[in-house]
Amino acid sequence: MDNSAELQRFLEQEKQKAMVSEMVGKLTSVCWDKCITGTPGSKFSSSESTCLTNCAQRYMDMSMMIMKRFQSMQ
Amino acid sequence: MDPFGSSAPPSGASSGPSAEAMMEQIKTQLAQAYAKEFLETVGSKCFAKCITKPGTSISGSESSCISRCIDRYIEATGIISRSLFSSPH
Repeated sequence: MDNSAELQRFLEQEKQKAMVSEMVGKLTSVCWDKCITGTPGSKFSSSESTCLTNCAQRYMDMSMMIMKRFQSMQ
Repeated sequence: MDPFGSSAPPSGASSGPSAEAMMEQIKTQLAQAYAKEFLETVGSKCFAKCITKPGTSISGSESSCISRCIDRYIEATGIISRSLFSSPH
């Protein structure tokens, strides 16, 4: 059935999107708490936006490290 | 978050809804779920930042803090997703 293949592909796509959106949401929450320490201003300071960028990238590095660490345990 | 939970497929296979109709419905429900989650997160983050000592009503300075907080949270979401997907990493 052709419809079912189409639906399958659609669901797979939406699943990917959901994973990405969950990751962005989680990192935003974690990095917001770490980097935005004062009351939110009308504009991010450059140190705040640099912190957000670094925070997200270091979180990914860390996830990679943890994954490798667990793989080496098996 | 279970966008699929409430809509069981009708029995009687051949006369079910078209794939397009189902996809439309799923898209709508997903969009609602994403929006709900985002609103809840922004609410808890900005409440924590701006309403430090709840009074009998929201003051002018609290309400301007909330609107700045909402804008910054949306901006932060953009910064985070850009840093994940447009960097040599």
